[in-house]
Amino acid sequence: MFQANIVRHELRRSLKSAWWWALGIASVHLIYLPFFRTFADNAAVLEKSLKQFPKAFLEAFGMGRISMATVLGFYTLIFLLVQILLAIQAARYGVALISREESERTADFLMTKPVSRLAIINSKLAAALTALLATQAVLWLVAFAGWAVFNAGHGYDQGRLALILSSALPFQLFFLSVGLALSQMVRLVRNPTPYALGLGLGMYALSAFNHMAGEIKLEWLTPFQYFDPATLALNGYEAHFLALDLAVVGVALALGYWRYLHRDIPTVT
Amino acid sequence: MKPIYLYELRSNLKSLLIWTGVVALLVVVALAKFEGYRNSPELLQIMESMPKALLDAFGMRAFNLTTLEGFYGVMAVYDYLMGAIAAAMWGANTIAKEEYNRTADFTLVLPLPRTRILTAKALAALTTGAAFVLLTWGISLIGAQRYHPTPAFYAFLRLEMAGMCFIALLSWALGMAFACLWKRPRQAASAAMIVVLAAYILSTVQALDQRLDFLKWFTPFKYFDAGDLYRHSALNGVYVTLTLVITLVLVAASYTAYSRRDIAL
Repeated sequence: MFQANIVRHELRRSLKSAWWWALGIASVHLIYLPFFRTFADNAAVLEKSLKQFPKAFLEAFGMGRISMATVLGFYTLIFLLVQILLAIQAARYGVALISREESERTADFLMTKPVSRLAIINSKLAAALTALLATQAVLWLVAFAGWAVFNAGHGYDQGRLALILSSALPFQLFFLSVGLALSQMVRLVRNPTPYALGLGLGMYALSAFNHMAGEIKLEWLTPFQYFDPATLALNGYEAHFLALDLAVVGVALALGYWRYLHRDIPTVT
Repeated sequence: MKPIYLYELRSNLKSLLIWTGVVALLVVVALAKFEGYRNSPELLQIMESMPKALLDAFGMRAFNLTTLEGFYGVMAVYDYLMGAIAAAMWGANTIAKEEYNRTADFTLVLPLPRTRILTAKALAALTTGAAFVLLTWGISLIGAQRYHPTPAFYAFLRLEMAGMCFIALLSWALGMAFACLWKRPRQAASAAMIVVLAAYILSTVQALDQRLDFLKWFTPFKYFDAGDLYRHSALNGVYVTLTLVITLVLVAASYTAYSRRDIAL
């Protein structure tokens, strides 16, 4: 149920934008990595003095869990920013996937073609997924190449780095599918940017606040917590969060598909 | 001019309400967290003996999280970020949407010079931004009431909101400049957003290393760094002037570009 020419057309568009997102991700690495050497030296000294404090307090501030003087510890800082970019990108692809045809007034053109809606959404989704994977390929490349150059003599577990990076896929899928579902729930998306930013940055803000101690726990709400870089670096995946993520992806995709296959396509005036 | 202004104001209302809701949610969540910190002298002691550079890396320098000022100081960067994004979006979209919604031909045949149409739209976006800052201020004040804030808190919050106001002003001008100068109207808001996010990332990089102090000049988030505001109890005049100059340049560029712009139909 794919339509080769739709896939090709969508891929051409999305790969062009994926290139810019990949460039953003690469530059975050290139900006941060050269400072690892000095930062690690400072952090090592600081953490020696931090040792005196009760563990609970340090955890309350979201620090002290992982040493910033290590490669993986420092990488959690970078990876969080990468996650923000990945989230906005994936959410944007998800929201724009179908709604772009409507806001750009090409939906009626597409609808008159002898292609089923199912084939349309399958093909578009396949193209978006490919673009996300291409972005990820760049991420893997710059992460490993970057650390090979800038590790400043600190050793690190490459398997663990790969594990952190592998979390990008379920993370992207969350935002892609939720973005798609969101775009199909509202009547007409005129501009996908506010939706994508709201989803990506909103989830990030929720996660940032969860790091502070307190009664309210928000980790069930945001993928930034499902795939918290420090937790991944220390303990690997948390099975219940991974399952929750995939469940949300499944529900959101089902919702998006169902809505698209049944809804009335709005006429834009 | 006035009908355009009022029309744009009304069309921004929904997104203003959504953004205000987000701020309210943020304040509610943050204050729930604050419950765990306040009046905890042992925590205060620990905070004070924490290494400064590490706190810096987490943006907590100079903040005593057991006080209301300290806590609102940590929240400042989120307020700034939201103010910047919202203002940039309003600045860009109020102008650019005529083109991507294909209503530009209708608006531009009104018996008004382009500059006045631009003025009406820019003012509407600016008003929305100002309303957003004021609402954020109001929500922050209401949230703080339960903890009997001191006069020092009010003074600090005023500085922080002034900082948010300047950052929103700058972002508004940035969004407007992108809407007027960028060829593809649909991308104007995204492009402005990329600049805002890049500035934010730059401000986090700056904390990594002292040698990166010069980066402060390139990111407005550092012009009004809540830690500095807290330490000096005043805005930095140089940074305020710089903000105003950049804003002015962007606005001037917008006007020049828009009166000559080839409007996409």
